[in-house]
Amino acid sequence: MNAIFAIARRETSAYFASPIGWICLVLFSLLAGLFFSIMLIGYASQAGEMGNMGQEENVTEMLIQGLFGNLSVIALLMMPALTMGLIAADRRERSIELLLTSPVTSAQIVLGKFLGGLGFATVMVLTTLYVPISLVIMGEPDPGVFYASYGGFIVLMAVFVSIGLFTSSVTENQLVALALGFSINLSVWIMGWLGQLVKAGALKAVVEHISMLSHFEQLSKGVVHTNDAVYFITVIGFFLFATTQRVEALRWR
Amino acid sequence: MIEVQGLTKRYGTNLAIENVTFAVEKGGVVGFLGPNGAGKSTTMRVIAGSLGASSGTAKVGGFDVAENPRAVQALLGYSPEVPPVYTNMTVRDYVTFAATIKGVEDVTRATDRALDRVGLSKVGGKLIDHLSKGYRQRAGLAQALVHDPQVLVLDEPTSGLDPAQRVEIRELIRELAAGDRTVILSTHVLGEIEAICNRVIVINRGRIVVEDDIKNLAAAGKTVRLELARPSAEARTALAAVAGVESVELTGSTAVVRSESDLREQLAAAAVPFGLLELGGRERLEDIYLRLIGAQGAA
Repeated sequence: MNAIFAIARRETSAYFASPIGWICLVLFSLLAGLFFSIMLIGYASQAGEMGNMGQEENVTEMLIQGLFGNLSVIALLMMPALTMGLIAADRRERSIELLLTSPVTSAQIVLGKFLGGLGFATVMVLTTLYVPISLVIMGEPDPGVFYASYGGFIVLMAVFVSIGLFTSSVTENQLVALALGFSINLSVWIMGWLGQLVKAGALKAVVEHISMLSHFEQLSKGVVHTNDAVYFITVIGFFLFATTQRVEALRWR
Repeated sequence: MIEVQGLTKRYGTNLAIENVTFAVEKGGVVGFLGPNGAGKSTTMRVIAGSLGASSGTAKVGGFDVAENPRAVQALLGYSPEVPPVYTNMTVRDYVTFAATIKGVEDVTRATDRALDRVGLSKVGGKLIDHLSKGYRQRAGLAQALVHDPQVLVLDEPTSGLDPAQRVEIRELIRELAAGDRTVILSTHVLGEIEAICNRVIVINRGRIVVEDDIKNLAAAGKTVRLELARPSAEARTALAAVAGVESVELTGSTAVVRSESDLREQLAAAAVPFGLLELGGRERLEDIYLRLIGAQGAA
């Protein structure tokens, strides 16, 4: 257990010593502010025209969910860049030898790296907290929506980290890991649009089930369905398992 | 302490090591000698558990590396040829990290001790990226010994160092080897083997060519080789009659004479009647090594 957290801590702090970590952190936080401002202005002018401000809950829901909807696309593009080095850099620098010859299992290494990446992603998400503060100033936002959105988004980040960790384990080349990460993220995401095109039926059900978007929409509404939870746990579990197999295979090369 | 039995590692059809078998007893300091690509690193990596063998077994402290790698790694410290360091960490953070994942109980104390041991205490706060090659090598050593392992496996610990650093690291290894710690190290420098090790394993093309005590190998160097134009039984007798000669072996036109002291002058005189063509000097460890490698290369 100590070993897992030591590896996780090392990875998280490594981001703070790297330019890419800081660039992503600052960019993510700034974009969150930008998106929110745009949406707020849009809402205000709309509300002004209509002459009614609507119910507080709905405003929170609309704004927060809109914000995270936009941020999830940013995260989809940003996370492969953050995770590409998790294992690939270790292999290139040979520092992986320290891990492979220490009394830790491949699963511990993978879990440590996963938590390390997720740790930094969580910091990224938390830096956006300055944004919804305006909601608190304006009125009384529904805390349930608030927590669910943030919780749901961190789960989404966990999915991206697990995918990125896997792509980082298949190659020593970080750029290959990056490209692969984009590809997987996009294809899982695009399934959602595909689902809208397909007419009702078994195929639609399948496509929608694979699509990350539809599951994430549910989660960010604060509704935790069993099948959404199962979906996210399955995806994360699958990629962590695959990564563990890859790390195990490194010992045989 | 270390038992290696029939170890073979295959990369496709390429054999990196083939049927490597040797044993090192507790407290032994063994030098791995051989040209680049001979299989030294492969063997060491298998023992350290970072590489699986195709067949054969390696045991450390009674534990099979393949079956119980964590148990082996808990009592083994491994320093690869390229130090496995994170360049964006400080020396101290790095060694602390190594201590933690190796399950050391008192991490701070172990880190202090390891840094002190390898002489890095003063640069503990420096980024590894800013260290010289010799200091990085030391950081790699600190990582290997932070959990005070009973067995140390050091792959070319002095490669790429300047002569002064080389002497320092050699001194350090000698200190580490004191007591009952078992050490395996590989090197290109024969002087290092003579200075530090009590046993030597020469490996070439993935096979062990020779495994012997340094003492015996040095004794093998007490021979003189003579080429004779007219080798015969009488020539043999004449050479054996020289005072101080222990043994004479005559194969073809080559006589190998073993003696404790240097008898080249007397041997030359005795051999002249039999048509002395050539008189080889007394072999040094370098010569023995080159002969062993060469003989295999020709085979």
